[in-house]
Amino acid sequence: MIELDRRTREMIEEVRELGRLHIRQMGLDADASAMPPPVDHEFYYICARQDGLVSRMVGADEGAGALDWKPFRNFLVGEEAAYWDRGVALSLPGPGLGGPAMRSTATPEQRQRFLEVFTDHSKPRWGAMAMTEPGAGSDVARIATRARKDGDEWVLNGQKMFCSNSARAEWVVVWATVDPTLGREGHRAFVVERGMPGFEILKIEHKMGSRGYETASFTLDDVRVPAENLLGGEEFYQSRAGFKASMATFNMTRPLHTAHGVGMGRAAHDFALDFVKAEYPKHSRRRQLAMERLARIRRGLHTARLMYLNAVWLAKNGKSNALEASYAKMYSPPVILESVKAALEILGEAGVRNDKMLEKLYRDVKILDIGEGTQQVQRVVIARQLFDFPRDK
Amino acid sequence: MRDFTLAPEIEELQAAAERLARTELEPNVRDAEAAGRWPDAVLDVLDGFPLGGLDLPEELGGVGAGAMAKVVTLETLAHADASGLAGADRPGPTVGAVMACPDRELAAQVAASGLDRSAGAAITVVDPEHGAHELPWGPGRPPLRWIWVTEGDTLRLHEVAGTPAPLQVLAFQASAPVTIAYADTVMRGSWALGPRTSLDVRSRARLWGAAVAVGIAQAALEETIEYATDRIVFGKPVAHHQGNAFDLAAAAAGVHGARLVVRDAAAAYDRNEPDAGFWATQAWLEAMDAAFTATNTGIQLLGGHGFIADHLAEKRFREARMLALQVGGRDCADADVATFVLEIEDPLTAGRELS
Repeated sequence: MIELDRRTREMIEEVRELGRLHIRQMGLDADASAMPPPVDHEFYYICARQDGLVSRMVGADEGAGALDWKPFRNFLVGEEAAYWDRGVALSLPGPGLGGPAMRSTATPEQRQRFLEVFTDHSKPRWGAMAMTEPGAGSDVARIATRARKDGDEWVLNGQKMFCSNSARAEWVVVWATVDPTLGREGHRAFVVERGMPGFEILKIEHKMGSRGYETASFTLDDVRVPAENLLGGEEFYQSRAGFKASMATFNMTRPLHTAHGVGMGRAAHDFALDFVKAEYPKHSRRRQLAMERLARIRRGLHTARLMYLNAVWLAKNGKSNALEASYAKMYSPPVILESVKAALEILGEAGVRNDKMLEKLYRDVKILDIGEGTQQVQRVVIARQLFDFPRDK
Repeated sequence: MRDFTLAPEIEELQAAAERLARTELEPNVRDAEAAGRWPDAVLDVLDGFPLGGLDLPEELGGVGAGAMAKVVTLETLAHADASGLAGADRPGPTVGAVMACPDRELAAQVAASGLDRSAGAAITVVDPEHGAHELPWGPGRPPLRWIWVTEGDTLRLHEVAGTPAPLQVLAFQASAPVTIAYADTVMRGSWALGPRTSLDVRSRARLWGAAVAVGIAQAALEETIEYATDRIVFGKPVAHHQGNAFDLAAAAAGVHGARLVVRDAAAAYDRNEPDAGFWATQAWLEAMDAAFTATNTGIQLLGGHGFIADHLAEKRFREARMLALQVGGRDCADADVATFVLEIEDPLTAGRELS
């Protein structure tokens, strides 16, 4: 049904092997300790090695000048890694959620400069992206982090939260505004690099689930960023391009959440399927009902997968995917929650014992309906595009 | 990687179907329903496509354009009017039965009589535990001659010997619905098919209904948005009340998802994938949900206008429900996918090992 080229299939096979050997256990350990895996974990070094996953996710295997955030590879690797543990999937070394901004907004020179760091195989390295603030979540127009031009530099001040991997990142794409009265038109993306004075991690959040990656808050206190770190350069932000850039980023990260969700839903499905095969008597009414539930799960996951693949395919081919990205992000969380819920019910009380993955999955999965805009926010976004649903003044 | 582009020849077909839908079907929807058939001029054009032969293999007299060409065309026509499709498209939903029939000579005869517009065909599912005495309904124009019956893993072909009786049904009046007792038919063959082949016969019929449902749902969505952005209630358009906007957004996402899975299942048939039947039935289930949601939301947001015949909302609501009763209905589809779910591997993870 899904046609993959050889190299992508090999990557998925590799992730599956890493999942079996490392990812699932790392997720369980992180969940038990409420701490993400340490940056020097063997798994991260395996990902970062020569010809490892990280280099291929940024296209280092495709020759000189090919460095980019590769959508299909990142999505499919993301789905497979999330099958084993979604938290650890989000902690994979590489540009992470900063990747879509590199693809949609960066100049070719910036892309080369900021992605090249991931072709240094001496140790794992991370990128990150920061949009959310204490006073601005899904409504990104309200971000208050300020950017002020001062000579050849920009000066950033503000606070960001719910930022994945930012405490371990080599760089963070930080969204700020040059003038809050301009709303989304005032948005600019800056690359804040590790060690820049004034960038300070405040805390790592404690979460219900998805503990395999760090979710951090940080402050920007007069952080001076060189002009060449303004993603896309000055000319990119003419007209409404600032808003378009942030939306183009979301239009990739939203379906990426769906890809992760499909992986998690598949994991729940497979637990339940193995349980039904082993425990439910053949030809029993109970087994038949369970199989019907499993079939419904398969249908939802299949649809969600096609929706995220369609959204990323549109973007990859230079077509607008705003609507389709929101469709995927709206449709998938209930389907995936239902997958985990149904799997728990099929396993019964055996499913909620803490040595089983399923109770963790039930805690892990809820973030999918929150990050990158809740399903309610997606409905607003869809309604605006379909029939000009008005914005509040 | 998966390519969501339609082939140029399918895009051309789609454009031609759109022109026909706009000029011939849309202006005549209610007249065709009352007359019990689409106008001859429309049927002539459809036979020229040829609609019925699109996905029929060349060795059976078709053009062999494939399932994708067929579902895109059906979706486009149903967007304008689905009511006459069951009669106008021959072999239509029965194409899977024609293709699976082990008696190739008989299958070719059945196919030819459909393509030359001399005989109509129907397909139905009979529960092996309960049996059945008559065809629930079938298209009556052209005259119903062939009835394909799947009962368990057995496929039967009945040839009508008596005179089918006109029937009042929920929808699809432009296909002149009829019924007939099996006692008034002659069984021309009975074949034991394997479980997968039997599923394929039912699933191919479901793919037909799923494509039609997507067209109906898309049209319902568009009509609803047009009305709900124009009609003012409590000081603003109906659609600008958040509760209504959320319902419309959910309906739109459902239609988008259904279209993707229907086309994906069609592509699976065209690539001769062994699990195509499983995914086609899954697509049917998804499309039925999406069509009900879109058409039901349509009536809700049109309010009283959704209930009267001045708008097409009520017609689409009826059609969506009628499609969901096709080929054994939802229970049969649920049972079919449940039967095979333990052995269908995920295409991305075939050969996986769980820890």
